Amino acid sequence: MFPIPTRDSEARARMIAEHRACIDDMKGVAGCSILRTERQGSAIEPHGGIHEQMDLAKVLVRMRAMQPGAHGGKYVVICTEVERQWRIGRLTGVRGRPPEFVNDTVYTDENEIQHDIFLLRLDQYPETDGMPEDFHEGWKRHDDNWAVT
Amino acid sequence: MSSGNGTAWMRITAYGDKWSVQQGDPIRFFVNCDGPAAYDAQLVRLIHGDTNPAGPGFKEVPLDAPFNGRHDGRRQVIHSGSHVVVADRRPLRVAGFTLQCWIWPTMPTKVEGYWKPGPQALIAKWSDDRGYGLFLDENGALELRINGERLTTGVPVRDHAWHFVAATFDAESGRAVLYHEPQIRYALDPVIEPVEATLDTRIEHSDVPLVMAGYAERRDEGPAGSTSPVPGVILGGDYNGKIDSPRLCNRALSRMEIETMKLGARPELDERRGPGPTGELSTCLVASWDFSEGIPTRTAVDKGPYRLHGEVVNLPTRAMTGHNWRGVETNWQHAPQEYGAIHFHDDDLDDARWDVDFEFPVPEDLRSAVYAVKLTSEDGDEDYVPFFVRPPLGVCTAKIGVIMSTIDYMAYANEHLAANAAGAELLVYRIPILQAQNMFLAEHREYGGSIYDTHTDVSGLCLSSRLRPVLSFRPKYDHFLMQAPWQFPADLHLIDWLTELGYEFDVIADEDISYDGLERIEGYNVLITGSHPEHKDANYLDAIHAYKQRGGRFMYMGADGFYWIHTFHPAYGRGEVTEMRRCESGIRTWRADPGEYHHQSNGQLGGMWRYVGRYLHSVAGTGMSSEGFDIGSYYTRTPESNDPRVSWAFEGIGYDERLGDFGLVGGGAAGTELDIVDTSLGSPPHTLLVATSAGRHTDGYLLVMEDFGFNQAGLTGTEHPRVRADIAYHETPGGGACFAFSSIAYCGSLSHNNYDNNISRLTKNVLDRFMQDGPLPDPPSDAVLHRGRLAYDPELNRRRIDALAPKGS
Repeated sequence: MFPIPTRDSEARARMIAEHRACIDDMKGVAGCSILRTERQGSAIEPHGGIHEQMDLAKVLVRMRAMQPGAHGGKYVVICTEVERQWRIGRLTGVRGRPPEFVNDTVYTDENEIQHDIFLLRLDQYPETDGMPEDFHEGWKRHDDNWAVT
Repeated sequence: MSSGNGTAWMRITAYGDKWSVQQGDPIRFFVNCDGPAAYDAQLVRLIHGDTNPAGPGFKEVPLDAPFNGRHDGRRQVIHSGSHVVVADRRPLRVAGFTLQCWIWPTMPTKVEGYWKPGPQALIAKWSDDRGYGLFLDENGALELRINGERLTTGVPVRDHAWHFVAATFDAESGRAVLYHEPQIRYALDPVIEPVEATLDTRIEHSDVPLVMAGYAERRDEGPAGSTSPVPGVILGGDYNGKIDSPRLCNRALSRMEIETMKLGARPELDERRGPGPTGELSTCLVASWDFSEGIPTRTAVDKGPYRLHGEVVNLPTRAMTGHNWRGVETNWQHAPQEYGAIHFHDDDLDDARWDVDFEFPVPEDLRSAVYAVKLTSEDGDEDYVPFFVRPPLGVCTAKIGVIMSTIDYMAYANEHLAANAAGAELLVYRIPILQAQNMFLAEHREYGGSIYDTHTDVSGLCLSSRLRPVLSFRPKYDHFLMQAPWQFPADLHLIDWLTELGYEFDVIADEDISYDGLERIEGYNVLITGSHPEHKDANYLDAIHAYKQRGGRFMYMGADGFYWIHTFHPAYGRGEVTEMRRCESGIRTWRADPGEYHHQSNGQLGGMWRYVGRYLHSVAGTGMSSEGFDIGSYYTRTPESNDPRVSWAFEGIGYDERLGDFGLVGGGAAGTELDIVDTSLGSPPHTLLVATSAGRHTDGYLLVMEDFGFNQAGLTGTEHPRVRADIAYHETPGGGACFAFSSIAYCGSLSHNNYDNNISRLTKNVLDRFMQDGPLPDPPSDAVLHRGRLAYDPELNRRRIDALAPKGS
């Protein structure tokens, strides 16, 4: 598997830079992907990003597959004012217990926040995640992470 | 949990008793106003529900209505959790007893912080330390309660496994025995011995009901109690799991007698035996419930001598395999004796049962359209309760009929995917955004989930009621899947376009077609679907089929349509409860357990229409082939768009134009879920494929799993040729036709550039032709010819002709 890149590695710096460039193109798109396009605010002619940097694509997929409550809770976006404000939250992994805010930072672009969560996840998930070093009893039973079970 | 400004995420929530209401009929509204002393109600006509500043913005038209104005606010709560409730009757007031049943618990213990903590009741006529009952205690161990006394095995039951459980109490000696016998014992499982105790007590009875999968927790004569399934009594101790074959006898049985009592009541053949499993046991039998009877009903049948039938409340899942299922027969109708289990869930809900706040007698002259009651407070709280006004049956007030996908809105009702199914992020290829509605639902599981969710015990959720606030059925709501409107608010993109271009149209709902049949639609020159008509019942498909056969014109404005088999539950009112089971293929957010593929509503085999031979491609010409939710793309025309049969649709559109390289859903008209032409899967052989988005999708798009037999590389949008959307046209008999636009994102592009764009023009060209009176013009005579289903593939054509050619020629 492609490991979550370690701090100060060349791979991490490169992924962050590409992710940043893709997010800049996605500003103004009613959607989001880690891809560059023909111009900012357009979804058309996707290239770069996950289509050209395999390790970035694989690392993002692994982050997306993480369990809701693992490693302190999965980061998500919470819209606090429709079309105007968004904040970073964290899933609890317990049904009936809603996500919780992580900090007081308010974002005014719904895609900008995607980049900051990517940075948080790089620090959140260990390089060895999914490797034998992380074996626990949960490996013996699937759960409701439905897209992958 | 509260919103960023310190208040609750939603303090006003509400619902109506109908989603589609006929002109002249009443509709009632139920409002929870939890905080503000008052709220204002306002009737509005909804035009556009998308708040994206890049588009035309939210549009509503205030209208006069008798209920407009200020109303006193009050809190109304929902009591979820399914049960069987048997009203108090003398035979249930036993002195001694034997209680027995099979159980298959799904959540015997609960994680810290779980929304409904505490013990779970299996069968209990017990409340406030009076009465008797069988429970699972907080450690998941079987527990007998008699008045304030407790007797437990101290052994946790295994989840997702059958256990036989029984308790006896001898009134004279006070001896109580508790039995816990797992159906399977693994090699290292300890033996569980019966537990005995002598209790110095006599059963004190009260008038509370006997409850299964819960107990009468307390009395409440206030507002909260009035909306309980048992008015005045709050039920608690919700049990998650199956219960099968419960029995009650009025004395303590021996273990051998308990074994015999598993057979239950046998009232037939009075010349041969007693009405119980033996003559002697028939004299002590109080009740013998058989959940395999009346599966499509709301009754739990008691075959015992007292007919202590129970009311099944809050829609547990029935037609469930019992402890004795053999794996030979998978249709409950063919082996009902093996389907004696009901699966109860603590988040099941059939009806919020709120008190009415106001009623609106819909005027007979209120035009057919999309409406909502807008509810606001002085503090900025807001909720909308949409509804559709339809003409009387047999009356069409316009040439165009727009079908609002109410079954789909119910299928997606109150989904929790972004908060619970974190793997859903793999689908959307970005981090999900939760709206206020999602946040509210995340802490209010009692509002129930969607058919995309799993229950809180992680079993599949296959039943959805609309008799509750459905917070995804709202304008101004962006769905996490697309970071944009989805289903109802996305369908308002179409309503807005029709309105802005000046079309007159009627609005009808799925359920109107399902219940009224062809008469509901045959008067329209053209029918237009919404963006995602995925979930449909057989009656709907039959009516559309008949409509097309009689010269009707059908515009399929989206994708992933006509995919899942639905049935409306016959024990509820028109369109109130729908059922869908996810079986062995298709896009399944959960999968039904073996033997549980047939609907409890009517025995219909669940799953995809494709797998009962009703190909989705046959309804409008294209069918689901791929999905992805990051960003969209655009179409370009194919040479077939120049065919005179269809070239009229492209008047004013250049051959090389990028069709829909813009939009409010994913940034392109070809996006999210995509349909293609496939003449081997039901597209008529004469289908013209006039535009396609082939080759332009991201790796976030993947081929649907029903299109391949095993996992393999090469299934994504940058690799697979079937990851595309095809716009397609074909003629139907009698001057009818179908146009399929084949992308859920399509309608999100209609308003671009003030409605002056090539998607708008294409749609207008089609609608103007389809809405004309009388049959459509005949196609050119040379278009009438014999076609094979594979004749569209030149490569296969060549192979077939080569193979048929004489050797050596």
